[in-house]
Amino acid sequence: MSFGLGDWISMIGQVMDRLPLTLALLFVSLFFAIVIGIIIAYIRLEKIPILHQLATIYLSFTRSTPLVVQLFLVYFGIPQLLLVFGIDINHWSRFVFVVITFSLHTGAYLSEVFRSSYLAVGKDQLEAAYSVGMTYLQALRRIMIPQAFRVALPNAGNHTIELLKDTALAFTIGMVDMMGQVLFIIGNNYGVGMFEIYVAIAIVYWVICIVIEAVISLIERSLMKKHASISH
Amino acid sequence: MANIDFRFALEQVPEILKGVPYTLLVTLVAMLVGLIIGTILAFFRVYRTPVLNQLAILFVSFFRGTPLIVQLFVFFYGLPRFIMYLNDLFGWNINPDFMSPLVIALIAYSINSASYLTEVVRSAILSVDKGQLEAAKSVGMTTVQAMRRIILPQAFVTALPNLGNQLIILLKASALAFTIGIMDVLGIARMIANDGYHFLETYLVAALIYWLLAIIFEMVFSKMEQRSNTFKGNVERKAKAAI
Repeated sequence: MSFGLGDWISMIGQVMDRLPLTLALLFVSLFFAIVIGIIIAYIRLEKIPILHQLATIYLSFTRSTPLVVQLFLVYFGIPQLLLVFGIDINHWSRFVFVVITFSLHTGAYLSEVFRSSYLAVGKDQLEAAYSVGMTYLQALRRIMIPQAFRVALPNAGNHTIELLKDTALAFTIGMVDMMGQVLFIIGNNYGVGMFEIYVAIAIVYWVICIVIEAVISLIERSLMKKHASISH
Repeated sequence: MANIDFRFALEQVPEILKGVPYTLLVTLVAMLVGLIIGTILAFFRVYRTPVLNQLAILFVSFFRGTPLIVQLFVFFYGLPRFIMYLNDLFGWNINPDFMSPLVIALIAYSINSASYLTEVVRSAILSVDKGQLEAAKSVGMTTVQAMRRIILPQAFVTALPNLGNQLIILLKASALAFTIGIMDVLGIARMIANDGYHFLETYLVAALIYWLLAIIFEMVFSKMEQRSNTFKGNVERKAKAAI
């Protein structure tokens, strides 16, 4: 089969038609995951009774069951559960279910990242901030979070890349993202194999992944500079 | 279907449990083969073997930078064609059908886990102090002997927590094998769920099975870590006693 460079480029173009959806999934889920991560990290750090135990079970569940099972549970299970109480959410868009699943999943991982980076900054920093008369919120905003952010960045970056790759699962519940687009490309082209299409998709994901990595290392380096200038 | 039937869920447990051997097979084979390939690649990286080092970097970057499910499909459609290509090239007569979905899944998962384990093994080898290698050489060991007797056992202890994590990640990843038709835990659960519209119950059972397996894996690894730590303690105590 002759499959020239031009064919590859046109196919990658067709796959990229669905890139905005993948990126929307990524950023919307990431936003909610960060919110969830902060809330869970706070609950675990402050050891709020009951909520703390619930958070621990939630973390254990999300981190030891496959994401695709969680996706099926949310997409098929929650509407079934709510129907028992007479609430019908079957008409909700798939996008909502996917975002719920991915936010809960990534949020669990991010909460551990946030928690450990907060602990890494250390209690003495907080005490020092108190000793110069800052309130807790001031200390958090001016002292703790800027330092914790630097510690959390590499891990948070890794989880962002994981999330990007996870978005490829959305097609299992029928979303037409890059993976879902495959059948349409097959329908439109003659002589294009599944193999070539999936290689093209892999290349697109790879490139996005490398871009995210580069952006994160850029931020890291700029933070490093600031850090060095303070300590010297 | 506005009710939740937990009796039904309970009745399906034995059926879904039949998928556990496939889930474990994919997980454990991928871990073992991945560890072997990963160790070889890690040595290329550590010793910066020209060409092979760059290829290893490219390999790791690709398999860690693309979704596993895409890789699964690439292998699923690519491997039979690769066999036919080899047949054409060398005049062989291999039947591409021997690439059953299970074989393809085992290959795909092994290669995917190899990319992650390369980095695990590499960082573990690098974590062992260079003085250890020099000490081994000073008593007359060759590099290979020193690696086998001194460096790798210590690197293994360092790598243990990461290996445990990787195993659990693989366990979870194995759930994707249903997309190419493997009847693992999720594959069977999905069939039952679609049959009777008992989505919530069946997927909950599947989730609990994965959860349980993950907890068992965690326990095994924490036992192994404890054991390796006691050995470490022994050595240190003996060393102190000798002084």
